[in-house]
Amino acid sequence: MKILIQSPQILDSNSPFHQKEKNVLINNGKIEQIGDKNFSADRVIKAEGMLLSPGWFDLGTFIGDPGLEHREDLASAAKVAVAGGFTELAMLPNTVPSVQTKNEISYITRFNENRLLQIHAMASVTKNNKGEELTEMIDLHEAGAVAFTDGLKPIWHTDIVLKALQYLQKFNGVLIDHPEDTWLNLFGQMHEGVNSTRLGLKGMPRIAEEIVINKHIELLNYAGGKLHLSKISTAKSVELVKAGKKKLKLSCDITAYQPLYDDSYLADFDTNYKVSPPLREKADNEALIRGLKDGTIDVICSGHLPHDDESKNLEFDLAEFGILNLQTFGAHLAVLSKSVDWVTLLEKVTTGPRQVLGMEIPKIDEGVKANLTLFDPDKSWVLDERTNLSKSRNSPWFGKELKGKAVAVFNNSRHWFDH
Amino acid sequence: MSKLSQKHLLGIKDITREDIELIFETADNFKEVINRPIKKVPSLRDVTIANVFFENSTRTRLSFELAEKRLSADVVNFSASTSSVKKGETLLDTVNNILAMKVDMVVMRHASPGAPHYLSRHIKANIINAGDGTHEHPTQALLDAFSIREKLGSVAGKKIAIIGDILHSRVALSNIFALQKLGAKIMVCGPPTLLPKFIGQLGVQVELDVNKALQWCDVANVLRIQLERQQIKYFPSLREYSLYYGITKKMLDNLKKEIVVMHPGPINRGVELSSDAADSSHSIILDQVENGVAVRMAVLYLLASATA
Repeated sequence: MKILIQSPQILDSNSPFHQKEKNVLINNGKIEQIGDKNFSADRVIKAEGMLLSPGWFDLGTFIGDPGLEHREDLASAAKVAVAGGFTELAMLPNTVPSVQTKNEISYITRFNENRLLQIHAMASVTKNNKGEELTEMIDLHEAGAVAFTDGLKPIWHTDIVLKALQYLQKFNGVLIDHPEDTWLNLFGQMHEGVNSTRLGLKGMPRIAEEIVINKHIELLNYAGGKLHLSKISTAKSVELVKAGKKKLKLSCDITAYQPLYDDSYLADFDTNYKVSPPLREKADNEALIRGLKDGTIDVICSGHLPHDDESKNLEFDLAEFGILNLQTFGAHLAVLSKSVDWVTLLEKVTTGPRQVLGMEIPKIDEGVKANLTLFDPDKSWVLDERTNLSKSRNSPWFGKELKGKAVAVFNNSRHWFDH
Repeated sequence: MSKLSQKHLLGIKDITREDIELIFETADNFKEVINRPIKKVPSLRDVTIANVFFENSTRTRLSFELAEKRLSADVVNFSASTSSVKKGETLLDTVNNILAMKVDMVVMRHASPGAPHYLSRHIKANIINAGDGTHEHPTQALLDAFSIREKLGSVAGKKIAIIGDILHSRVALSNIFALQKLGAKIMVCGPPTLLPKFIGQLGVQVELDVNKALQWCDVANVLRIQLERQQIKYFPSLREYSLYYGITKKMLDNLKKEIVVMHPGPINRGVELSSDAADSSHSIILDQVENGVAVRMAVLYLLASATA
């Protein structure tokens, strides 16, 4: 089938067509021609004002398969991710059991056959993500693990971080850790500040993140290797990473919602805004925006963390941390585009994550495989019971009108169109 | 103005100075009522109130129950430890079950901050927060402010020191909100580990030396050490706490002025307050208890008429 995407703006700094409005013809999963001609096609997508980029990649998606399928399984995740504009993602190893043997890796990658969305497995650094005993990381790498992390569980054991940084150097692997001192955050419910004081909720101080970043930078300096910090959230964290990057192989990401919301959203105890790292203050959010612009922050991820209703619709301190965000990701990018240009933003979801993992970066050019996302930043839509494709519904944006939506996605000789 | 701005009493944060003054004026009348030989009025006849307590309480529950009965309401009581509820029925299910029996108002104490706010989004009945974890305890703050007003004539301009475990105290937070709305100056005092780091941003002074706090204030509201709400160790021992933060009659006598001593109860005698201080002429602790009934009658009455 021939598909013509009519005059989108092409955004791909590796492409000769970067920042040009061209017609793009896709035939049998390949970009056949790019030009001004109106190529004949079986299907035409009018894409004026839309953005065509290499396929989006989500770094660190939670999918509860195996073990926690009621929250999100591979099949539901595939639908949600594609509708959100993603062609690939790297899944967190916070499954039951965790991703710690070849079996779990092949269970995940087997699912990719004949599918548009390609799910890459990240493997646990320690058995059951407990932070105590290293997994067989070389073997897991051979089996296809794209990175090593305990995912939602910060690695609390300093010597394990050191050993992992050293051990992964055999194959130039990357260690990903969410920087959080769990002792300082113990029983914490939200960002520590005047709002947590006012609400009587135990705070999660900024230093709980910052001292771990400091520690990790020292470890990286000592051990060598490659480190990626996931979901940073404070102004000082941005400064620390910026300084660390000058001499070390260090990268970091933020979630798309983090710079857009602050702790005032928790004023009436809405558990849908209960996330980790917590929503912080305006000054932090402004620093995250600056970090995106100056290249300190390499990746924007969805932070997609589905929970069943029983874990979210209850008293604040009993509710779990996390937010659904694969489908609403693009709408957040659209809001971010008011402060950060689209070229920079899209690099953080296309080349950024793939560079962190050392993966091939798809290109928009004639004769190459189509791995593409077509995004309409002006399209209005509502996330509701009908449009939500996740198995969970823990989103503060449920029922609200959003602007910005993926319109078409191409990968692995397959395509998806928004109806 | 004769109506509250709110349908629920979730916290002092949510009500206005006018609301507080209306509650006080109404409580003045009820205080007169409960000192009559016949203490009962028919104001809430045919109104059913459930006292739902997920945390232990003696005086607050008793005070509410008396207030309800003196207003001729029908009263049902439900108590459960949060832990047993956590294992089985959810909060929403529990309360909906009670409401299915046609209850008009719910007085709730719960260990989770925001639990009454959560409930208010899901049920129709009026909700009165009788303490939600480390967040608010609005009727306690109202009766405290009412007692200060009674003793000193007014709250505006008075210097009030809140002393003790500020970090775990819903009484402290509600007191700060209420007293600030009424124009008082507030100081908090306690061991540094029991003072929230950002408490100063609420517009209160912070003092680490209890003697200096006593010298500064007109009223010392001494809080209970909340051992049951401390999930982490915040200070080395009760012995050291009572030595350096406990208030004795001798300390009060050494001041060059008269101050008022308050305590929300129950007192850990010999820890935050010595027996001779608690029972001294400085203390208005038992007046607080009496005023508690009148203030709660006023809150119940006003919320019921706000909905009617």
